[in-house]
Amino acid sequence: MRDSRRVGVACAASVMVSTALDQRARRGSNPTAALHDLKVTPVPIIAAKRIIERGHYLHSLPGGTCLAFGPFVGRRLLGAVTFGVGPTLAHQLVEGAEPDDCLTLTRLWLSDGLPRNSESRVLGVILRSLRRYTDLKFLISYSDPAAGHVGTVYQASGWLYTGLSSAMPLYDLGDGVARHPRSLGHSFGSRSVQHFKRHGVEVNLVPQAAKHRYVYFLDPSWCSRLAVSVLPYPKREAKDEGC
Amino acid sequence: MKVVELPLDRLQEAPWNSNLMPEDMLARLKESIKSYGIVENLVARKLEDSSYEVLSGNQRLKVLREMRFAHARLLAQALNHIQGEDDLGLRAELLRKVLETVPEAEVVAILPESTDSLKALASIGQGDIAQHLQAWQQAQAARLHHMQFQFTGEELALVEEAVARAVKELKGKADNPNARGRALVVICESYLNSKRLYAAYRRRTS
Repeated sequence: MRDSRRVGVACAASVMVSTALDQRARRGSNPTAALHDLKVTPVPIIAAKRIIERGHYLHSLPGGTCLAFGPFVGRRLLGAVTFGVGPTLAHQLVEGAEPDDCLTLTRLWLSDGLPRNSESRVLGVILRSLRRYTDLKFLISYSDPAAGHVGTVYQASGWLYTGLSSAMPLYDLGDGVARHPRSLGHSFGSRSVQHFKRHGVEVNLVPQAAKHRYVYFLDPSWCSRLAVSVLPYPKREAKDEGC
Repeated sequence: MKVVELPLDRLQEAPWNSNLMPEDMLARLKESIKSYGIVENLVARKLEDSSYEVLSGNQRLKVLREMRFAHARLLAQALNHIQGEDDLGLRAELLRKVLETVPEAEVVAILPESTDSLKALASIGQGDIAQHLQAWQQAQAARLHHMQFQFTGEELALVEEAVARAVKELKGKADNPNARGRALVVICESYLNSKRLYAAYRRRTS
């Protein structure tokens, strides 16, 4: 006689691994136990790139990514969290900081198949490890209100909210490609609109929506150096997903 | 992959399946199922609402319904990319097993991967977060920093002349970015010395 209890499905003998995971994640009576099965490991950036390009709403991983982590449940890799250099002057949010003192959390995407609160759990493991094993002083991250995100996961993890970032426009050189200023600098040696005008290239600025900006101090003694005000967390207006 | 037995009302025909079977072939299929049962399991994938879409066996499903079967045996398919079932963790395990027996060059020749990406993908799940971050932190100390300058053509020629001369004075240094960096340091030291500022700088930074 078949043991149908193993898979928790009344009418069938067996179900594939993902179904078992879904049950534990979303329909189980004890989500905390499911969270205990989460293991966070470093993952190669190429793997994070594939996961982010497939699952994240922006479908891209920015250049300058230098650290990537992924949550495992059993043998399955179910998301990615990446860190990179971020905006050039982001470190100036903190007085006396050098670019090497901080990283920007550039992408966070976890599968819907993971238990509730997995984002906070995964982020918690990463923050503790960064605090313990690196000399980084603080982290920065952004949430895109245009995508309905207010940074719920950052709020749940105790990040400081510092308001909306000043939105830098993208540059279109007339070919319809909206380029990030840094990408323009790498490709053409300059991001100056005047420079392009002098060479007869008309630059169209493509405005970008401002993003919610969060800061997390890995070294608490640096908190007092924050050069901007800490504001109340923004609240979600409508039900959304993601960070 | 395990076989699942499910009630037929949880199975859906794939709306995108364009294959049609002539009536006489359907009749033959019916006869075959009557005599031998389902020889080959259906293949299906799970949908959001916990029903299953049949990927292979839509004609058999029609016949089973016609014959008023209550259940069907099927393979729950795990290969659909869009459904997020393609898992890099599981793939890494598989790659490691393959690489134990098949030479890496042969694997690279078959898969759309380079040697580096193959190694990276096979290493997924093997790393330890503490060791990884400690190694990363150590590497930061060895990292060379870049500076950017902007010059007119005339200014650039002057700077290149000075740097090239300084590079030649560095013992055993070929002209490369590292040597040019060292040369620029020598030039800067010389400038600070000329202004009697170098000693004060060293005291401040040591």
